[in-house]
Amino acid sequence: MAKRKITVCAGTACYVLGGANLLMLAENLPKEIKNDVEITGSPCLGLCQNNSKNKPPFVMIDDLAISEASIEKILHELTKE
Amino acid sequence: MSEDPLFLEVDYAQKCKKGNIVAGDVFLSTRTGDDSVVTVLADGLGSGIKANVLAMLTAKMASGFVLNDMDIKRSAEIIINTLPICSERKIGYSTFSVVRIERGKHVKVIEYDNPSFILLRDGNIVPVTPEKIAFTGISNRENIVQYYSFNLEYGDRMIFFSDGVTQSGMGSVNTPLGWGLENVGLYIRDIVRSDPGISARNLSRMIVSRANAFDGYAPHDDITCEAVFCRRPRKLLVATGPSLLPERDGEMARIISEFGGSKAICGGTTTKIVSRELDIPVNVDITNITGNLPPESKMQGIDLVTEGILTLCRTSELLDRETYSGEMPPNPASRLADMMLNNDIIHFLVGTKINEAHQDPSMPQEIEIRRSIVKKIMRTLEEKHFKKTSLHFI
Repeated sequence: MAKRKITVCAGTACYVLGGANLLMLAENLPKEIKNDVEITGSPCLGLCQNNSKNKPPFVMIDDLAISEASIEKILHELTKE
Repeated sequence: MSEDPLFLEVDYAQKCKKGNIVAGDVFLSTRTGDDSVVTVLADGLGSGIKANVLAMLTAKMASGFVLNDMDIKRSAEIIINTLPICSERKIGYSTFSVVRIERGKHVKVIEYDNPSFILLRDGNIVPVTPEKIAFTGISNRENIVQYYSFNLEYGDRMIFFSDGVTQSGMGSVNTPLGWGLENVGLYIRDIVRSDPGISARNLSRMIVSRANAFDGYAPHDDITCEAVFCRRPRKLLVATGPSLLPERDGEMARIISEFGGSKAICGGTTTKIVSRELDIPVNVDITNITGNLPPESKMQGIDLVTEGILTLCRTSELLDRETYSGEMPPNPASRLADMMLNNDIIHFLVGTKINEAHQDPSMPQEIEIRRSIVKKIMRTLEEKHFKKTSLHFI
């Protein structure tokens, strides 16, 4: 099974509004999930621009963008299927 | 931007005598409008506040005279006639070493009762013969000053120090007569041979550190060392912010890639643009997050890649400190500050596209707009750290 790619935005807005914690994501994932994902950081994904609807911090899981991301939201998305 | 034909890096390091909060040694450095440099190193009699006042008086006088184009020999004469002589010890209340380096590389030095300075050229100590001038002071005591006049060449270093350096370790088993001028010279020569590009900042720190060690980390006297390094300027380019018009992204990337010097990019969007235009991959290093700042990235050909505004604000704060000498562990802001301080000319390339996220009211209020913080950093670099800066908007 292909690993799911989690990209944590390390841009200013995301970092300040909770992204700092998300960058430590790897340490907070349960063991079963850790091996199925690949976590990387990215410079500003640009999702904060022109976006009054969706707020930082942003995380991409493969091609899906998650706004106001939290560890719970990410886990929810990963365990959904 | 035309290149400076000669760049003088002047820096000093100091440790107070143990138990004192103020050093009796004073170092002053001034750059004049015509790109001359005047420095003074004065050692006040005794130690502590009283010595500091004596040394400061001497240093200010010397610096003032020489800056106002008074002949350096005449300045020395007036200072010696003004300075009182200790009735008990029969020596002047302060020593001084005054240096004037003119744009055309001509150097004049006047030394009075300080250890002789050391001139290092091509990895060797160059003996310079002084003219000895005698002045009769107000107490009819004869004072001898040493006067040197010569031309500097690229790569030359001059190192001045108070006797706290040459006499460090006096009375100890290994160095009963103190470190000694000759050994200090050899130490400096060996450091520079093993690290020919060492900055004046680091060299002066190493010498003071060594003298401190000879004194068992409890200095017997104030230890002061001034280093002058004459070289071609080291340049740094700091690029921050995307260009106002997307059509100029390529131009911005080209300026960065063609720059002959160290390079730093501050800002995620800026980083992405440069990565795309120059086809260089970016890797954010999320395993190493320090200083409560967003992580750095790695990009081939760029020496430092950081986040933008938060990092720049912290860098400004670090540069503004009374004394800043690095942070442990290093973080993106301290790395940027160190890069700025280790270069002589810092060019800022500032993209003027408004970052809408900075306008968001839920962002902390300390975040300053990019242009303001860059201008603040430039001011600090010029006024506090004697750097040259330039600003280019795109």
